[in-house]
Amino acid sequence: MRLGKFAFGAAALGAAALGAWVLFVGLPRWYPAEDASSPGGAAADDAASGLTVATLFHVSDDGMRLVGSPFQLARRANPTAQARVILEAQLAEPPAPLLSAIPAGTTLRAVYVTGDGDAFVDLTEEVARGHPGGSREELFTVYSIVNALTMNLASVDAVQILVDGVEVDTLVGHVDLQRPLRRNLDLLEAPSS
Amino acid sequence: MSASSPPAEPSGRRPGARTGRTRRIGWALCLLLAAALPGGGQPAPEPLTIVSRDGRRPLPTVAIDGRTMVAVTELLEPFGLRLGDPGPRRLTLLRGTAVMVLSDDGIVSVGGRLESLSAPPVEREGAWYVPTDFIGRALPLLSDRPVELRPRSGLVILDGLLVPQVTARYRRSGRESRLRLLVTPHVALRIEQAADRLLVTFDADAVDLAPGDVPPDDLLRRVLADERRARLEIELGAAFGSHAATSTPGLGDSLDVVIDLTPATTAGAAPTPAAGAAPTATDPGEAEADAALPTLADLTAPSTIRAIAIDPGHGGADAGAHGPAGALEKDVTLAVARRLQAAIQRRLGLRVVLTRSGDATVTLDERAAIANNNRADLFISLHANASVRETAAGAEVFHLGPAEPGADAGAGVPIPVTGGGTRVLDIVRWERAQFRFVERSARWARTVADELRTRLPMSPRGVQQAPLRVLVGANMPAVLVEMGFLSNPEQEAQLVSPAFQDAVVEGLLHGIIRYRDLAEQGHPFDPLDAEPPADDTAAARRPAP
Repeated sequence: MRLGKFAFGAAALGAAALGAWVLFVGLPRWYPAEDASSPGGAAADDAASGLTVATLFHVSDDGMRLVGSPFQLARRANPTAQARVILEAQLAEPPAPLLSAIPAGTTLRAVYVTGDGDAFVDLTEEVARGHPGGSREELFTVYSIVNALTMNLASVDAVQILVDGVEVDTLVGHVDLQRPLRRNLDLLEAPSS
Repeated sequence: MSASSPPAEPSGRRPGARTGRTRRIGWALCLLLAAALPGGGQPAPEPLTIVSRDGRRPLPTVAIDGRTMVAVTELLEPFGLRLGDPGPRRLTLLRGTAVMVLSDDGIVSVGGRLESLSAPPVEREGAWYVPTDFIGRALPLLSDRPVELRPRSGLVILDGLLVPQVTARYRRSGRESRLRLLVTPHVALRIEQAADRLLVTFDADAVDLAPGDVPPDDLLRRVLADERRARLEIELGAAFGSHAATSTPGLGDSLDVVIDLTPATTAGAAPTPAAGAAPTATDPGEAEADAALPTLADLTAPSTIRAIAIDPGHGGADAGAHGPAGALEKDVTLAVARRLQAAIQRRLGLRVVLTRSGDATVTLDERAAIANNNRADLFISLHANASVRETAAGAEVFHLGPAEPGADAGAGVPIPVTGGGTRVLDIVRWERAQFRFVERSARWARTVADELRTRLPMSPRGVQQAPLRVLVGANMPAVLVEMGFLSNPEQEAQLVSPAFQDAVVEGLLHGIIRYRDLAEQGHPFDPLDAEPPADDTAAARRPAP
């Protein structure tokens, strides 16, 4: 009886230890947590639930302003997931005659939306390396991204762009990226002067 | 209304007339209180004044959370608007078939056109209030009546009336004095003396007298605007004897009117600068005070602009934009910077600071620091533009902005000084240095653009605000000039040519001259000669024009 009791206790302890291992070590190892903001990530509530229309921003015919055009995109319930969908569409080559202000080959590394309305958009280095330069084009690059999020997502007030995961002063020497930027509607207006 | 009230009063209300009056008085008091204390204890700001073909009328304003706002109901009648059905988080205004939607984030939309306001509309007990810039920015979208808001004087000018702005500056020099009126835009005027005053009548619809700098004395008491006509009244002091006026075309479509005032006792005497030369007619105290005052020559002599920082964009490892034929932005900017340096030194005799003098890599913050450490008075960053559209062309001038929230100037810190007392030291964080110069930089940018426009092709976006890093830390009026598009083959050829580079230099040189002259004249764009800390707080409080 004594021995049976001991054996039972040891078995219970072993089962508890195994359970704990499975719970805290095994399961996470077998099923790594999917971050909504990591490439390919898809949290449960991000599942496509129909389509939505978002305004994306591209360079006008004369190169002097941004133009907004409606695009049909997948709807996501989670703002971060929706931000990712919008940014991926904004980074993609637009149909002619629209022209993107974002250098070809630029991809989205990550996007985070904070609780207080700031979005952090982490882009690959092509955004700077492939850039033609100039204040005008850098403004369009930056604000096509800033406007795409702030105009389409109520939860985003301002956007800060990171390159390869780090904060930068500018992309190519002009626009200050050391802090989140608010939307800029002036760049959409037809030049008047 | 009592028993003697007119019979028009409906008789059925008679028994309650007394309580009705008490109630009305009560309501009136409440309204007065509400008008006086809209934001909970804030003083009521000055009303705006609508100037139209029908004359002048006040437009009341209220202070809400430190901002000057206008009740939407006050705008309905003057601008022929109707209130639409208010939706959640938005306000709708109608005029004929046009609809304006004002959302609670301060974005105005009329038929697809968007304008952003300096602040969102505010609802207080069912009434909507909008920031005053709503008048200048949003109303023109809806109204077919031209509308112009003059934030400085609070005038709302309708129907395209001609209302020149006049800034007065008055300086005493010994026994004589000089009143200077800067009239913008240039209009014809007549000066005549009538008893104890000089009348300056403008060939215009009204006059907008900016609060100037007119310390009263025994020659001149004050300068007033006549609200019924386009006329200024200069009230003369007891010692006034005679006047002599000259007017010359000023810079940028302005008229510079100089009125010299001479006292009666020494009328006709040559203005001798020797202090104390005529102490006989004055008491010792006055003579002493006169001696301390500058002479007329002193008033115009010293320049407020002594050093110019020129920043040749990019350099070293950072070549900047590339032209299709191979020109590099860093080389173009350095070439123009060297030409400009030589021209400023030779023709203006001003000190020039270059942020790089060779093909070196210099960070953006270092460039501003070089300008700050060398006490430059103006900053010019030279660049060449690029676009994915090959046809994009023309020069553009940028100044810093718009201000992001919390980007105001830093507060002064009191520092003890020897001999007791404290001195307020202006400590400003690096990324906020330029925000102290927002208005001056805007003026500097417009001046540069005006001068470039007559010499170079300009982009349709001549002057713009942008959050440009190199300008952020500059502790002086600062602009970034994109001279042309290097990505455009024609412009590339221009940008590398000495003729084009000289045209840029000529434009910038004239911009510096004009800005310096405006600064010396005390042009209304900003009190350049004010003490910086006082100026900063004033600038921080002033709503954006």
